[in-house]
Amino acid sequence: MGPWRGDRLSQHTKELRFVIYSLTPILLLFLVFLIIPIFWGIQLSFFQYDPLASSSPLIWFDNYVRMWKDPIFVKSFLNTFKYVFIAVPANIVITLAFAGMISRVRSARWRNFFRTCFFLPAIAPLSASALIWSTMLRSGGDGLFNMLLDKMGQAKVGWLTDGNTAMISIILMTLWADIAYNIIIFMAGLDAIPKLFYEAAEIDGANAFQRFRHITLPLLQRTTLFVFTMTVISYFQMFPQFQIMTRGGPKNETLVMALNIYNNAFSYSRMGYASAMATVLLIIILVISLIQIRVGRTQWEY
Amino acid sequence: MNIRTRSSQIWYFLMFGFLLLSSFIMLVPYLWMVLSSLKGNLEIIRSTDLLPHKVTFEGYKTVFQDAPFMHWLWNSIVTSTAITIVTVFTSALAGYIFAKFRFRGKQVLFIVILATMMIPTQILMIPSYLIIFKLGLINNLLALIIPSLISAFGIFLARQAIDELPYDLMESARMDGAGEFYTFLRIILPLVRPMLSALAIFTFMAAWNNYVWPLIVLNDTEKMTLPLALVFFNGAHVRNFNIIMSASVLVMIPVLVVFLIFQKQFIKGLSMTGFK
Repeated sequence: MGPWRGDRLSQHTKELRFVIYSLTPILLLFLVFLIIPIFWGIQLSFFQYDPLASSSPLIWFDNYVRMWKDPIFVKSFLNTFKYVFIAVPANIVITLAFAGMISRVRSARWRNFFRTCFFLPAIAPLSASALIWSTMLRSGGDGLFNMLLDKMGQAKVGWLTDGNTAMISIILMTLWADIAYNIIIFMAGLDAIPKLFYEAAEIDGANAFQRFRHITLPLLQRTTLFVFTMTVISYFQMFPQFQIMTRGGPKNETLVMALNIYNNAFSYSRMGYASAMATVLLIIILVISLIQIRVGRTQWEY
Repeated sequence: MNIRTRSSQIWYFLMFGFLLLSSFIMLVPYLWMVLSSLKGNLEIIRSTDLLPHKVTFEGYKTVFQDAPFMHWLWNSIVTSTAITIVTVFTSALAGYIFAKFRFRGKQVLFIVILATMMIPTQILMIPSYLIIFKLGLINNLLALIIPSLISAFGIFLARQAIDELPYDLMESARMDGAGEFYTFLRIILPLVRPMLSALAIFTFMAAWNNYVWPLIVLNDTEKMTLPLALVFFNGAHVRNFNIIMSASVLVMIPVLVVFLIFQKQFIKGLSMTGFK
């Protein structure tokens, strides 16, 4: 019995050693580049931190108080919500509709063709897409959109220079660049619904809308919740197109929180203030994630 | 089996036509990019037509003359490849351990790792910049590589895939006297190859397209990666945007090739992620 036990122990030690040796470097990277920065970032938000200044006094909640009196921050806060509230529902409706249509195409080859066409924008670097769109949206006669307006006998529009159209222009660009991922996930979700349900409903005389309302929507709830949350979280942090296409202009009409935080941290080197704004963004995203977990759980209990 | 009525047939063709039209609209910006890139430096300034009057490669020539384009391409290739190889490895290794080993604190560790996926870049970027600064890595490609060698999403994906493999595999390998690392490398990894290739493509694309982080840690033109360099280069040629469009075409080609080769794995991998 002695040697047998010893053997098992050494097997256990071997496994433990493997776990420790493998996991330590990985966890160390997590610690240094994810865990520590979170707490450090929150800590910085209580300081008047400027890497170039000689001292960085602890000012507790002053940054948080100050930001709500700062019209530029308030503007960026409202713009972020405006962007998310328009772009996310538009994204969900469009992607769900296209996923439904593409998965209904009978020939597999055409289905692949459509999927590839919709997917191409998603693989391009956002910065390149933003540049392409800024040239299409040029306010002179040399941009694509104004060329088309001109052909139709309409006046030119300053797509990115007019406060009324700038945000909508960026939302259009975002939708173009970003709908592919959600289309694919929705298509997979639709694929997982047994065809039998639809055939049974058809026999019972349910029309297309009724089938969508009573079969597709309820069975797609989990997928939709997942897609919705991921899109909201990613749109709250959207940055490249705002920085490249408008730099937040005209008159801060497209200044979102992510861009404002970047400007404060790296252009004005107000890192404490920027960290406080980033902490607000963190809280918004955490609240959304918690709501998603809550809603997901209650649905599970049905 | 299914009796299709006339009206449903018409609806089908309408839908098909709509999809064709939408696909074309999705491709318009690319068409615009290619057509603009073929316009001359003089023509572009007052072009009011979609098609170039005279096709020239002036734009492309200027990119190679005025900009260290090959340098940028090389920087992108080196960083993205290094990140992809190491991240796939660390994700698979951690995923394997979280799926098949028992040790104290495992659940808590895994939840903490998953939770980091929810953290916005904006809260991380200032401290990360300060860490990179203290390590003396500003303007060094290592600043792009080192923080990206791990992926919470990758660990999650790997754990899901490896979890489904039977324990017998490991047991019989151990009976044969194989070491733990050998078992992982030679027995586990080959069995989850589809997951690994999907993860490799995701990681590569994310690394290749990354804009924010390079923008923060690189300011030397020679050190830039393509997406950042493109924007930087744009500053010098706002009016002659045929040059920027030529550069964009050149940036897009490698990603396009990778995507068209691995499209199947990519789409399959993406479908996997929808079902948590």
